[in-house]
Amino acid sequence: MNIFYLTPLRRTGLVAVAALMLNACAPAQDTPTPTTSVNVSRYVAVGDSYTAGVSAGGLTRTSQEYSFPNLIARQLQGASANAAFTQPLLEAGTGSGYFDLVDYPASGIPRTRRIAGQAVRRTVINPTACGGPDTVRLLERSKTASALPQNLGVPGLLLSQIETAGLGNETKATPGGAFNPYFERLLPAADSRTYLQAVTDAAATATFFTYFQGLDDLLPYVRSGGECGPFPNTSLTNLMKANARKVLDRLRAGGQPGIIAKLPALNTLPLLRLGKGLQLQARLQALNNDKALLYIEDPINLGPAQPITDDDYVLATAIPRVGKLTPVLVGTTTLMLPYGRDARNPLRDADVLDNFQELQRAKSVLDAYNNELENLAHNVYRLPEVDITNHRSALDLDGILFNNVADIISVNGVVYSSEPVRGNFFSLDYYSLTPRGNGLVANAFISAINKAYRANIPAVDVNNLPTVAH
Amino acid sequence: MRQRLLFILPLFSGLTAAAGGFDTGPQGARVLGLGGASTAYINSIAGLSTNPGLLAQWGDSLTRISLGGIGQIRRSSFIGQDTYQRTDQDLAIQPGGYFYATRALSKRVSFGLALTTPYGYHTKWPNNWEGRSVIQESQLSTYFAQPTVGFKLNDNFSAGVGFVYAFGKYSQRRALGQYDDLSAQTQFSATGSGMGLNVGLYGRTGDNLAFGISYRSGVNLKMKNGTATTTGVPARDAALYPASTGFSTQFNLPSTLSVGIADRITPKLLLTFDFTLSGWSTLDSVKLNIDASGAAPARRISTARRYEDALAFRVGAEYQVCPKLTVLGGLRYDESPIRDEYVNPEFIDANRLGASAGLSYQLGSRLALEAAYAFEYGQLRTGRANQIMDQVANVSGTYRTATHTASVGVAVAF
Repeated sequence: MNIFYLTPLRRTGLVAVAALMLNACAPAQDTPTPTTSVNVSRYVAVGDSYTAGVSAGGLTRTSQEYSFPNLIARQLQGASANAAFTQPLLEAGTGSGYFDLVDYPASGIPRTRRIAGQAVRRTVINPTACGGPDTVRLLERSKTASALPQNLGVPGLLLSQIETAGLGNETKATPGGAFNPYFERLLPAADSRTYLQAVTDAAATATFFTYFQGLDDLLPYVRSGGECGPFPNTSLTNLMKANARKVLDRLRAGGQPGIIAKLPALNTLPLLRLGKGLQLQARLQALNNDKALLYIEDPINLGPAQPITDDDYVLATAIPRVGKLTPVLVGTTTLMLPYGRDARNPLRDADVLDNFQELQRAKSVLDAYNNELENLAHNVYRLPEVDITNHRSALDLDGILFNNVADIISVNGVVYSSEPVRGNFFSLDYYSLTPRGNGLVANAFISAINKAYRANIPAVDVNNLPTVAH
Repeated sequence: MRQRLLFILPLFSGLTAAAGGFDTGPQGARVLGLGGASTAYINSIAGLSTNPGLLAQWGDSLTRISLGGIGQIRRSSFIGQDTYQRTDQDLAIQPGGYFYATRALSKRVSFGLALTTPYGYHTKWPNNWEGRSVIQESQLSTYFAQPTVGFKLNDNFSAGVGFVYAFGKYSQRRALGQYDDLSAQTQFSATGSGMGLNVGLYGRTGDNLAFGISYRSGVNLKMKNGTATTTGVPARDAALYPASTGFSTQFNLPSTLSVGIADRITPKLLLTFDFTLSGWSTLDSVKLNIDASGAAPARRISTARRYEDALAFRVGAEYQVCPKLTVLGGLRYDESPIRDEYVNPEFIDANRLGASAGLSYQLGSRLALEAAYAFEYGQLRTGRANQIMDQVANVSGTYRTATHTASVGVAVAF
């Protein structure tokens, strides 16, 4: 009797309990609505390689899509629904070519191969380029060339060239001529506008800007071990400062809000950091199980080779050659000696950025330039502070990102460092960023926008971005 | 007696304690309905696991058995501090159950057995959520077997002592988010066991007021011979992450000190009160010691927990509606052992306020059906990750947690 009574009761109870459990929603939380106190509906980005989206030594459609301005623009759409952002996108499969990883041996220097760019309109060989003969490739013109794009980042653009007429005119594409093929493809054919004029035109309709330029002025010198490129001295400093102001004056012509970013220190880039004198020496000693010292040429060629110091940097691009046996004429006989690891076969000047003659020079230009950017942001344009504690108005990427990455950071459980390949921050060319590195830079800008302009723009979930751009 | 019991209050209020953690709540349908205030409650033999001192109170000629199942859903939502992305945990039911049996051996000595699942959780985040490299899924299940002896000291007092054998299972998986392959992950699983002791005292002053006090020692679940497997790692890093290797870990389950009173207000209404202090501070960190394998050296993944001792306050009421039907209700407040600095998505907990309801229906003179449901809602917790602390894997954001617990069982006496 009881059994019959029990069954329906129990069944009802179980169904009720099961229904209750399946409907057990996660407790609600309100998601903040992205807002900003300034108009971000038309954002213009000015800069060089970083802004353009160069990654692993090349610019392709994918690397452009992961440029930090494009990542910022994507996040801004949350606060400004119809904000479009145009980039001078290359067609898929075209571009400048890039480095591809072959393998990553224990030496810590990745082995790469160059994937050539496709659909090149024309090539011009410049036999006297810095760092040896160079090929200037004219790329397919951007589909947006009739109207300037919002991402005005141009790879390899020097501040000293912003007023060079014809910098983007194909007729100037001659060996040794002042010409930038990436700028050329932003403009209609046979357009002789200067970069500054392009900025002026784009700024006319802009409501918001970011400025992150100047690193490309110093990189040729650094990459060549101080052999060529704009020589870092006071006149370069003054030129960079003055021209930065010209660009910024145009961007600020209508009082537009924006973020001015200072340049990262040169020795946070793996190009130098991987070859930090004594650390590299110790790594090589451990790898070869010996005690050989590293020697560099005397920077002013007065005396014999000298042991490397911790403030001298061997270029990352030269590290694979260090320790390889090369013929050296000693007295009258030719000996095979390990490159750089024997006092009689020191590292050549072109492979080293030595401390006193070269790095300090470049550093003083960079520091003076950064100080000027802070001065412009804080005192001249009176931009709101992005660092309230220290009263800074220019974004110090070193302090909030590059220095931390150099010391290893963990982002939601994923470690980022300046190590190539596994570090996931710098790309295979040792200075430009991976898409994730661009995501972290975009987040640094977004956090600055949020602080300075009472906004809450959501940050990029960088771990969802790819680790390589091509 | 009432006054004398008051000394307990300052004893507890002086502790900066926060019970909660991953205890799965009252181990029995009837005590779940009562909100868990069962240290001095003798209407269900489920009190056996809370207070062995109660055992001798079931010292008549009957053999009692109580058994049932428990299902718990503990679910949190998360909003990323900077990304504003909301993620809800996947629905995961942590199964549990209980079996109790008591039998008097003589007028003064009784024997009992309790099989329970007192600690456990099942955290399951979506595989591609923001914190996937911190944790994707983590589950701990424990099974306690407690043979117990109870002694009747006199008509009003009884004491008991139980030996606890605990068995536990732990599994965890997390993504290796440094790779593009979304399936790249490390999985850990291990089992282990530990032992403990449970002692308690029960006393009665007259027919209306009873009190109980009990102490269960902590249990160290030592898990050896675990396996750690890694999948989806590109060939260039294969040497860093061996496909399969051994690992060991340990979980320190807390001691509990419970004090409770039961007061029969009217012949039909019984009120119970409990304080429980859980010694969670023995859980300092979770260390996964991964064995060396091939070129990969031994390493340790350590997650600091730094739990604090935690206090729970529970009130229960039992009302006999008619001779066949008894209804139960309870309220509880559980403090969380997790400090603000150590809020981690592997196991989310918060100070929780809960309510419960249950019933016991007498199907026959010796058979009762029991069912209960409890709901707990937690305070908002904020997890903070510091990018510069690269050894600590965490994600910044806010969590809101709710738990649903349901239990159905039968109680038999013969």
